[in-house]
Amino acid sequence: MSSTSEGRTRYSSSIDPVSTDGRDIDTGIATLSGEAAQQRVKHEDKHLAELAPEVWDRTPAITDADTTYYDRPLLKPSVWSVDIPIYYFLGGAAGAALSLGAAIQLVAPAEQRELRRLSAICHWIGIIGSTAGAGFLVHDLGRPMRFMAMLRVFRPTSPMNVGAWILSAAAPSAMATGFFLNAPGILGTIGEVCGYISGIFGAALATYTGVLVSNTAIPVWQEPRRWMPVLFAASGAATAGSIIDITYHGRAGRRIGPVFGAIGRVAELAATLKVEHAASAIPKIGEPLHHGGTGVLWKTATALTATSLVLSSIPLRSKRKKSIAVGLLGAAGSLCMRFAVHYIANASARDPRASFQQQRRS
Amino acid sequence: MDKLLTAAQAKSFETKAAREDTPNRSTRKGFFTDTTICIGCKACEVACKQWNQLPDDGYVFTGMSYDNTVALGASTWRHVAFIERPVALSTQDAGAFSWLFSSDVCKHCARAGCLEACPTGAIIRTEFDSVYVQPDVCNGCGYCVTNCPFGVIDRREDDGRAWKCTLCYDRLKGDMEPACAKACPTDSIKFGDLETLRETARTRVNQLHEQGLGEAYLYGADAESQPGTGGLNAFFLLVDRPEAYNLPPNPVVPTKTVKETWRSFGFAAVGLLAAAVISAVAGTRS
Amino acid sequence: MAECHPVGFRWVMKAKERGATIIHVDPRFTRTSAVADIFVPLRAGSDIAFLGGIIHYILENERYFKDYVVNYTNATAILNEEFKDTEDTDGLFGGWESDKAEYKKRDWMYEGVEPEAAAGAREAGPGSGKEQKQPIQAEHTDPTLQHPRCVFQVLKRHYQRYTPEMVEKACGVPPRLLTKVAEALCRNSGRERTAAFCYAVGWTQHTVGVQYIRTACIIQLLLGNMGRPGGGIMALRGHASIQGSTDIPTLYNILPGYLPMPRAKHDKDFATYNELNESPSGWWGEFKKYSVSLLKAWYGDAATPENDFCFKHLPAISGDHSHMNTVVDMADGVVKGYFVMGENPVVGTVNGPLQRKGLRALDWLVVRDFQLTETAEFWRDAPEIHRGEIRPQDIGTEIFFFPAAAHTEKDGSFTNTQRLLQWHQKAIDPPGECRSELDFMFKLGQRLKKLYAGSTDPKDRAIHDMTWDYPTRGPLQEPDAEAVLQEINGYTMADRKLVDGFTSLKDDGSTACGCWIYSGCFKDGVNQTARRKPHWEQNWVAPEWAWAWPHNRHMMYNRASADPEGKPWSDRKAYVWWDEQKQKWTGHDEPDFVQKPPSYRPDKDARGKETISGIDPFIMQADGKGWIFVPNGLQDGPLPTHYEPQESPIKNPLYGQQCNPARMEWMREKDNPYHQPYDDPRFPYILTTYRLTEHHTAGGMSRWLSWLSELQPEAFCEVSPELAAKAGLKNGGWATLRSARAEIEARVLVTHRLRPLHLNGRTVHQIGMPYHWSSKGVVRGDCPNELFSFVADPNVSIMETKAITVMIEPGRKSKERRHATSGPIVSPLPSREADRDLPQARHRPETGHGYKTEQVKEGNT
Repeated sequence: MSSTSEGRTRYSSSIDPVSTDGRDIDTGIATLSGEAAQQRVKHEDKHLAELAPEVWDRTPAITDADTTYYDRPLLKPSVWSVDIPIYYFLGGAAGAALSLGAAIQLVAPAEQRELRRLSAICHWIGIIGSTAGAGFLVHDLGRPMRFMAMLRVFRPTSPMNVGAWILSAAAPSAMATGFFLNAPGILGTIGEVCGYISGIFGAALATYTGVLVSNTAIPVWQEPRRWMPVLFAASGAATAGSIIDITYHGRAGRRIGPVFGAIGRVAELAATLKVEHAASAIPKIGEPLHHGGTGVLWKTATALTATSLVLSSIPLRSKRKKSIAVGLLGAAGSLCMRFAVHYIANASARDPRASFQQQRRS
Repeated sequence: MDKLLTAAQAKSFETKAAREDTPNRSTRKGFFTDTTICIGCKACEVACKQWNQLPDDGYVFTGMSYDNTVALGASTWRHVAFIERPVALSTQDAGAFSWLFSSDVCKHCARAGCLEACPTGAIIRTEFDSVYVQPDVCNGCGYCVTNCPFGVIDRREDDGRAWKCTLCYDRLKGDMEPACAKACPTDSIKFGDLETLRETARTRVNQLHEQGLGEAYLYGADAESQPGTGGLNAFFLLVDRPEAYNLPPNPVVPTKTVKETWRSFGFAAVGLLAAAVISAVAGTRS
Repeated sequence: MAECHPVGFRWVMKAKERGATIIHVDPRFTRTSAVADIFVPLRAGSDIAFLGGIIHYILENERYFKDYVVNYTNATAILNEEFKDTEDTDGLFGGWESDKAEYKKRDWMYEGVEPEAAAGAREAGPGSGKEQKQPIQAEHTDPTLQHPRCVFQVLKRHYQRYTPEMVEKACGVPPRLLTKVAEALCRNSGRERTAAFCYAVGWTQHTVGVQYIRTACIIQLLLGNMGRPGGGIMALRGHASIQGSTDIPTLYNILPGYLPMPRAKHDKDFATYNELNESPSGWWGEFKKYSVSLLKAWYGDAATPENDFCFKHLPAISGDHSHMNTVVDMADGVVKGYFVMGENPVVGTVNGPLQRKGLRALDWLVVRDFQLTETAEFWRDAPEIHRGEIRPQDIGTEIFFFPAAAHTEKDGSFTNTQRLLQWHQKAIDPPGECRSELDFMFKLGQRLKKLYAGSTDPKDRAIHDMTWDYPTRGPLQEPDAEAVLQEINGYTMADRKLVDGFTSLKDDGSTACGCWIYSGCFKDGVNQTARRKPHWEQNWVAPEWAWAWPHNRHMMYNRASADPEGKPWSDRKAYVWWDEQKQKWTGHDEPDFVQKPPSYRPDKDARGKETISGIDPFIMQADGKGWIFVPNGLQDGPLPTHYEPQESPIKNPLYGQQCNPARMEWMREKDNPYHQPYDDPRFPYILTTYRLTEHHTAGGMSRWLSWLSELQPEAFCEVSPELAAKAGLKNGGWATLRSARAEIEARVLVTHRLRPLHLNGRTVHQIGMPYHWSSKGVVRGDCPNELFSFVADPNVSIMETKAITVMIEPGRKSKERRHATSGPIVSPLPSREADRDLPQARHRPETGHGYKTEQVKEGNT
């Protein structure tokens, strides 16, 4: 209807009573001290307009088995912004890359020097991915300045808390690995140890986000929960592989990236099918995966990843160009997949029947 | 009018709940909402807004009977649902029609999705067994929002933090009942010790059944009837399916099913490490 | 009741919990219906037919409480030979005087007697001076109830046509439902059980409003439910202290305690005034004590027996100065100034365009409210201003706006519908320049005194002589409300000692009392109205919570709860009884009776209180009986008769007389055009208005508050799905409603809560619309009261807002036209005014001013 001015306005001093923060309390003669008095109100809350964007145009009447409350959503939509799928992408790649880096460190200590560049790429993907990812996470918070509160407790029931700890372990150890792995003496040892640590935490980093989304009430996320971590880990591997495809064209260990990427892509496609299958056991739950904009996004992700996979298996003359193409397609596919996972949530949360049918079944 | 409290008095109020002689000390408190005596007056909505000084949610005419509030949110902690049905209540002679009212609120679940998901520990269980969001800790990550199987808690965009019903924690500490229960003219919202409320509720259901209202039942009254949440501290007496009131028929706290997801995580992470090793091997041997 | 009195409804729910049957009768299914046991949808404006059907049932099946009826009501009284019922004249009672357009009520009298109306000549209409004083008993009675002219038989005959089939024809209520309701009432009445009626303006705001209540009275008297616990008729008032505003009145025709206002024509001097209003029987026999004490309270030492206690200082009324007449007077330039305090007539009263026309013609207007209401803003925000038909610069009214203090910011009392005075204390000082009404009026009075201090004009003596010395306190120097209450309670002039009650008042000027019925509220120097003893520390009547008038009697006429021997009708319903040992009346409540044994019978020459016999529970009536038949005091009939509203879709199925013959009309084509009486093709649907829980009356206390506004943000009308299909309306969409007076827009709710009614072979549709919105505030909308006309009940001049006819169409098609300023909104049709009355009642005095023209013309100086 109208916007309010910043903060609280003296109600009695406004001729037009519309311009208050909606609390009708004259701060000149009364103090705001209720439980929600500290709620910052800059403008009218949009949630009502979002909940009921159109007027209900049927005669209210609840009768049948498919009854809902005026088709209003049961659940609240996720408040996460695009920062989060970007984080999945970056963090997933980072985690997988760190695992790969640790694997290289483990398997081929002798070829270390030749594989130094590849190793560095892995670790730098890890460092940049995890720190940039953390930046996106902090940006997405409602109160970004309070990001340290994430580490205020250790709460194993909350995948987000566990993830915060994982990230807090992965990023610094990745940095330590990146800086100290090839350093002489004690620093080098530290670097090596950190290499293994970052590898393990990296694997956790790439995978825990699958638990994060599945541990919610949103039907399309929760129903296929057995496969979500697999999807996320696979996508992380595919992304890491794709980035290596794009950036590393050296001779040494030139199969490491492509193999890792291919395993990732295959696993990603398989996991995609599994997720679809699990979610669509109840059609209403799987709907966002098949219909609407989210359906298109989901299919696009699969198509891109499949194309990348196919392309990677076709022998082509220009290895470099093929590599870049495969990488770009693969990365695009994984990125699309992250966004698809993000957007299906609200399509599912908006549909009360998805939750009702999910619960009636069990 | 009373003078302002001294610092000592204020402190004693704060610690009162922990003292032996306070009735509110360490007992499970909750709501029993008997929707058969609700008259849809929305006094609970207004009392809650006034006590907590919540801002309004905007002015939207929804066409959904008399419900222009639609759902709970960061700034609406009580919501009265209005359900018009072309079937009669068993005990009413009004033609093939009935109008149901129900005042929705945070359920303060025995196993609360929001609490178990909160990464900062902002959401705590109080000494009254209620679920409370500490606004000075919450950093607005929004994870609780997707973890509530009832769609109660929400994050306010311009404020950044998550908010929900506090079971009037401040009033409980002062030995008073929550604002909504106080304001409810017909005592549809009953506040008290959970065990007492459960007994009252069972008696009431039996009474209604005797009077001929066979469709009356309790929703979320205990862990047996709602294993997914362990029972609700704010439970209801309903006369139609839960979906009609926009309540989930069989809500499950996400953390109840998370074990298999963590197991999957284990396999996937190990698989990822294995894939990394395989790739490293494939790329360096042969 | 759940909609408008949710807190009071708590007790209905408690009753239900204990097994009471809740029956809800209403044109629409509301929040009350949702928790009722039986819901009866009926046509708005047809309640008398419905209740008449219940009376018919009671009489047909002999379910009346015989002992009660014979002993405590006037059912046994025999009427004079001249009496003619509506059965004889197709809807008119005998005694209609065509040239005067009113009833000559003599024809309704008891045989050989002329008893007083309950409060003097005030209700007897113009021209009835009092000629003779008679003893109270109806001379001739028939305890066997068989005499053809006894009230009981007349009643039977009158309601014999109100059969279930007729009720279905008139109300749309199926016979099954009527029978079910009547049976439930009968089953729950008698010695062991009682039934209660609750009503609000859905019954009163009709041209036959008073008769609606009367029909319920008849039912309750026949069933023996009056003056008994769990019985009675509860009038749910419109806001927290409307009862107080009639007790200490803001009404033009009464003084505090329901003493009639002096009338210029009849009450030439104080002696005449007292004589005309004093009753030879009953409590009104003490009239002079109340009037003298009132004058002493107001004029103090200046009021002496020599100067008739300053009686001449009181203004005298010269006719009907009720609200609508006054507004018309403003519009016609007769009334120059207006105080509007805590009311928003432009929204809350009918015919907004005519209201605003009146405001435009004033010299000055004072508005006191929390916000700039539509009444305060009429000069720059009104449909006619929006349309450019009226320009603010052309309006000559000088407007003053004073911000008002809220009820939490002032001391005072509320009087609720059960006559309970409850004191409320100030919690906080009002902000800024907001002040209470008490403070405003007090300071205004002080300034007037100062202004007129030097005047020698005799008419200014009223201001000089006024006692206006309430103590003030606080930083704002506000008058002490308790001091005012003490004056209301009354005190002896000599030593300012507070009196115990109205029995202590004297007529020699030694006592002062601001309101005799409130006397006793400050008994023993304690503010009785502020008492708050919790219910667990006293009996269930709770006499020590606040204070009820009169004399802290919580139930009036409670003598009727005991049988003629003074024993309760049953143990279960014991309330007050005669204690043989102590030789006094006693009980759970204070007995509302004289301390005389049940066997007491008055002598032939008894006077005043002595005339009340031991079996006369209704002590305010001249004969002490509950009046099933009203021989004197009403303008439109001794027995309720079904008449159609001024504007109805159908012809009166019961009588040829379509509408209330004595109704007040304002024949003003320019600003008050009426629709055709029935079958007006332009307006086929019924419109009824009402309130919602979320908002309050004209919106002044709710439409500026965000928490209430968000609950119901837009004005809407409610229609049935059948009407929606017929008219093309969609849920959530828009509709335009039109009457001859105005056109408005509203959102639409299509709901099964409104139902089409099938009566007399046709389907009648009703539209409902809450009236809370108008053009200002946080949430705005159109006001349905704009659609209504000025037409009123003749007894109390209440407006008819519960049933008119309108047209509805989908979409936002309103151009905000108002007939008063824009000209005709709909195509004019030939007037069929004549169809409202039988030929002999068609003559109506030429007037644009309500029907009591003569008084106005001669009285206006």
